Amino acid sequence: MQYKILPVEKVEKIRTNYIQITINDEEFASQCSPGNFFQIKAALASQNRRLFKPISVFQVEGYHISFIIKVIGPGTRALASLESGEKLMIYGPLGNSFPLVQDSNILLVSGGTGYPPLAYLKSKLDSSNNILFLDGGASKDDIFPCDYAYTIDGSLGIQGMVTKDIAEFLKKESFDCVYSCGPISMLKTLAQIVSQAKQYVSMEAYMACGMGVCYGCVIPTIDGYKRVCYDGPVFEAETILWAEL
Amino acid sequence: MNDISTSLGKITLKSPILNASGTFGTEYFNFFEQEVLGAYVTKTITLKPKEGNPSPRLYETETGLLNAIGLQNPGLKSFLNNDLFELKDCLTIPLIVSFSGATEDEFIRVMEALELHSGICGYEINISCPNVKNEGIAFGTDSDIVFNLVERLAELTERELIVKLSPNVADIALIAQAAEAGGASALSLINTLYGMAIDWETGKSRLSTPVCGYSGMGIKPVALALTYQTTRAVKIPVIAMGGIHSWQDALEFFYAGASAIAIGTANFSNPLTIPEIHHGLQTFLKQHNLNLRDIIGKVN
Repeated sequence: MQYKILPVEKVEKIRTNYIQITINDEEFASQCSPGNFFQIKAALASQNRRLFKPISVFQVEGYHISFIIKVIGPGTRALASLESGEKLMIYGPLGNSFPLVQDSNILLVSGGTGYPPLAYLKSKLDSSNNILFLDGGASKDDIFPCDYAYTIDGSLGIQGMVTKDIAEFLKKESFDCVYSCGPISMLKTLAQIVSQAKQYVSMEAYMACGMGVCYGCVIPTIDGYKRVCYDGPVFEAETILWAEL
Repeated sequence: MNDISTSLGKITLKSPILNASGTFGTEYFNFFEQEVLGAYVTKTITLKPKEGNPSPRLYETETGLLNAIGLQNPGLKSFLNNDLFELKDCLTIPLIVSFSGATEDEFIRVMEALELHSGICGYEINISCPNVKNEGIAFGTDSDIVFNLVERLAELTERELIVKLSPNVADIALIAQAAEAGGASALSLINTLYGMAIDWETGKSRLSTPVCGYSGMGIKPVALALTYQTTRAVKIPVIAMGGIHSWQDALEFFYAGASAIAIGTANFSNPLTIPEIHHGLQTFLKQHNLNLRDIIGKVN
């Protein structure tokens, strides 16, 4: 884990509300695993006294690391305003990572901003696996490349929640492993539906330090409150006390 | 070389900068050398493990941070068996253990256990956490209770005994004087102010615990005033904290009377806050050919 102030290589607006930021850093790139995140913010005066945003890695190609970021508040708007060569403040990689399996039938389920870590995971799962990737969102702008897309407004793919057909998929095919990331309501529903397969969830949370120091981002588990940033963000679904979330 | 060291009761610190309890970990030493810190203050521990409050525990406002952590910690036993060894192994700077309790007896039992271990330079007695009921702050708002507790703890140790005060009291000077009379060798202030945030769209509290702790730049003027009032009411040194983000902020607190300062919320917005303040202070002292002790309390 290191802290750096780095120039942004590229900032692309990839959807109405999403940007993709790419940096080029050999050390960071060599340390990343799927599920890891970085604490990031724009190196702008307006952000001086603001918290960093925890952002999952979307892609690592050579020394290039990309992040997909949904523009929501002042921090992400500042990131979206950056141009190539302008700087961001970044530390990481942080958190644990998804266990990588082989020779398995795998279901990936993402919702909204839960897509990037699963896309990165998919790129690291080898060809011995058989992978089905479902992505869901409010509208077509929230959908990224996958096998089946679900939108609440029906503007792309199947109308409805991404969890809508999972019970059917599970009847038709047996999955060894389910990986998911997205809003808590989605993960909660998914945890109820999936009972046979091993299920790993990557949790999203509001964070301050991002490295286990402040205890601000906990979730309830069978072993008490666990820090999403340090004990996670990847948890085995069966260890989370979903009813308390 | 202009002298940046400071006296803190029984000890001398090579750097006048500490970390505020609960906002820091040895993880930060991945980013900078620990010697810029005068001492390392642990997250508050309690006799028994504490679960803390449910999420959400954090909310960032335009002027600072709200938190409702609730002193989550693994308890004394786990601290002694794990954390203390790791800290002693890692640290080359003095170690100060912060602890709290629900009863006077709990405070005493924690201190008695810590006294059996070497490598601890001093204690910070947390009687000011706003996020736990009948604990922490319940001790810090009544001067008689503060006096009795500190007197009993002071009898047990030769080490540095810092009492951490709450800003959420009618007259901080009275509490400070009670701690001094009880035998505290230093004071630290301020713990977080009471704060709250509500989602105006839904009417829901932003945090699981509606009235929680408020820290960060918005509390700096309050912290500065309370530092000024306290340092004029007692003779023992004061470690001041509350919204310090820069070396300029730090200087204000030294002028107000602080012997040392601590950095909390600013660690989250800039992980290099501590070394940057250290460097800024050194440069300032050199430019003006001053030692840090020359300016402490010299507000005019």
